[in-house]
Amino acid sequence: ARPAPDTLRRARFDRPQASSHCWRLLCSLLKQVHGGKWTEPDAIDIQIRFVKSVLWYHGYGRPELYRLPSDGSAGSRELLLAFSWLLHRISLLEQLLARNRVRTGDETSVCTCEDDLTNSQKGRTEIAPEYSLEDKVDVRYLQWLHGRLRFQWRSLHALHQEQSKLLHKIHLFTSGSHMDKILGHFSVTETELIRQPENYKQLLQFLESETMQLEAFLEWKQLEQVYWHWMVKTREEELQKEEFCAAARKTQEAVELKLLDLTYHCAPKKPKMHGSCRLVFRSKHSASKTGFGRSVSKEPISTVSATEVIRELQMRKASLERELKQLQEECRQRMDEIAEGLDGVICISP
Amino acid sequence: MSIVTVQLGQCGNQIGHEVFNAICSDVHGTHGLCSKKENESYHEASKERFFSEEKSGVPVARAVLVDMEPKVISQTLSIAARSGCWKYDDRSHFCQKQGSGNNWANGYSVHGPKHKDRIMNLVRKEAEKCDRLSGFFTIMSMAGGTGSGLGAFVTQCLKDAFPASFILNHVIWPYGTGEVIVQNYNSVLTLSHLYRSSDALLVHENDVIHKICAQLMNIKQISFRDVNQVIAHQLGSVFQPIYTGAGPLHYSRSPLGDLMETLVPHPEFKMLGLRNIPQMPENSLAYSTFSWPGLIKHLRQMLIANATMEEGIDWQVRPPRPGSSIPSKHSTSKSLHFNTSIANLVLLRGKDMHSADLGSFQDPALYTSWLNPQDAFNLWKTPRAFNKYEKSAALVSNSQFLLKPLDNLVGKAWNMFASKAYIHQYTKFGIEEEDFLDSFTALEQVISSYTTL
Repeated sequence: ARPAPDTLRRARFDRPQASSHCWRLLCSLLKQVHGGKWTEPDAIDIQIRFVKSVLWYHGYGRPELYRLPSDGSAGSRELLLAFSWLLHRISLLEQLLARNRVRTGDETSVCTCEDDLTNSQKGRTEIAPEYSLEDKVDVRYLQWLHGRLRFQWRSLHALHQEQSKLLHKIHLFTSGSHMDKILGHFSVTETELIRQPENYKQLLQFLESETMQLEAFLEWKQLEQVYWHWMVKTREEELQKEEFCAAARKTQEAVELKLLDLTYHCAPKKPKMHGSCRLVFRSKHSASKTGFGRSVSKEPISTVSATEVIRELQMRKASLERELKQLQEECRQRMDEIAEGLDGVICISP
Repeated sequence: MSIVTVQLGQCGNQIGHEVFNAICSDVHGTHGLCSKKENESYHEASKERFFSEEKSGVPVARAVLVDMEPKVISQTLSIAARSGCWKYDDRSHFCQKQGSGNNWANGYSVHGPKHKDRIMNLVRKEAEKCDRLSGFFTIMSMAGGTGSGLGAFVTQCLKDAFPASFILNHVIWPYGTGEVIVQNYNSVLTLSHLYRSSDALLVHENDVIHKICAQLMNIKQISFRDVNQVIAHQLGSVFQPIYTGAGPLHYSRSPLGDLMETLVPHPEFKMLGLRNIPQMPENSLAYSTFSWPGLIKHLRQMLIANATMEEGIDWQVRPPRPGSSIPSKHSTSKSLHFNTSIANLVLLRGKDMHSADLGSFQDPALYTSWLNPQDAFNLWKTPRAFNKYEKSAALVSNSQFLLKPLDNLVGKAWNMFASKAYIHQYTKFGIEEEDFLDSFTALEQVISSYTTL
């Protein structure tokens, strides 16, 4: 159920009646963003727990939100703030659009980013839950679980390889048949449509729904300024109510976070490819010696060839392997040192 | 979804041949005892798993045959082709013109590296034929000379070339009174090397299968062919299509992966034993009736009492009572005959399998303390009967089944090693005493892990 426009206005004034609507809104949006299907609405406390944990995951640091009661009776202004934060921080609307996009079936994701999560998250999640000493677990059970995960990863890998192989077959067999002469081959969705033409109605519905969403988004983009203006006014009102010190502290926190963000984004680093692309088949050019798959991306990084990505990933793999070897060596040395201190013990490394 | 079989040495090739025979005859048999639709999807899944299509229409086994001599391979190829039911790919084999003296070190250190490229090319070709590769299934004898050494080397190569694929080694445990003097050395070396590279070792003991042939199958003059056919039947009952999920939506698409995940996620515990029930001569099948409760009861006691077949089971052995202290964990020759399990997988095939009650297998007393039955026990089933048995049950168990044989084996090998007997045969080809020590250490570690369950 869509919230009434009045809800947002009521939230601005922190009206309690608007709180449960806001929780529900956030819950449904975040569930969609995280790939879940909207099923039966859960009880309010489950929704609240979900929203809090997702906000925490995304790095939302305002303690006031996490202190809100689990019966949904208060806090609509906090929720409005959180909603605006999501809009800006995780590009909420753009993510929703991406989720609801009509699929070509040829999607693949590319990511050659360095694992810089640790840098950006510094200072935000220092409080790790402490395990009580009673909750002892046999290390062999943990090894068992770890082993299962590794096997499941391998099965996933095999599935992925199979998908690539079959995708290649489709691209190869439909080459030259497409209206679009540059692309030349069909996508999975198009191929399915050829084989089962009666499904065109459903595809049409999806396309129409996507068009509607895109149009609504364009409209939003034009009015966006108004919203932010309105939000700032809301904050100003709230700040006036607090003591000067508290306000100063908050501003300082905000500035710090902003600075962290800036340093992270401005840090010199190689441009990394990241995002979802469509996998497209190009036949070998006589000039190039390397393989044939190229990706056409809908992100600003434009087209990139699969061989380039493979090369980057191989370099990344090599550097990770070096790092692993180094860590293993360090561990081995430490083990040897410990073993030397013990009588009658030989350390046999694997 | 597809498994590539690598048949190594005389033993591996003869058994591999019987396995494909068993699968083919099961698929084409008329005793499926299930709906036509079920039978068709079973047929399709089995074919995809073990055979590839060829223009001639005769299914081609997804296999690579490796041996140092040409005799067994050419026999295997021609017998299969004559069957008309299936055949091997004519190019998918490797052998040498002359034999190379029964020597493990020779196989591992000399022939392995020398012929690595050719053998791995054959494997790669087979792997590429698969739309989806579930993994590799190697068959070999543990105690043989060149074949076992080469087999250990090839397994390592498989692991290096296909790090993300599953590797299951099927190994034949030699007769206790085997002919080869150095069979214990060979076994120790083979096992320790395989343990490093593969995900699981599925063991068949020659002595056990021999007993089954004699007592259950009533065969008077037991030939290798008889033994191999029993082994093939047991393997088929594990690897033929089966439903692994909660609901029978489709046959498992990752047979090796599913097997590994349920039984061997822990890297120290890779030894698997296989039990199958019932086993009887084909002409007795028509006169026998089976009940699931009976089969399951026997299978469970076979597990607990470490019995190798359904006759002569020691029914006195019981799981330890909860709360009673378990006697010293250090001695392997303890009087406690109870076989502790890490994980068990039961496969039921045939009529009314959904009525079977497996609660007795979920008793926590059967399992080691650090794993609960929900994680440790898995049940797979299909209504499609296997190989003319109206009802059959198989048990793949990661337990102390092989603890005693392994301990005996290592003990005998160590005694020989202590007097340095026959070591020169190995050092001649690059297997030094250090390597022996490494192997002994590795196996002692395995023995220790299994003992302290």
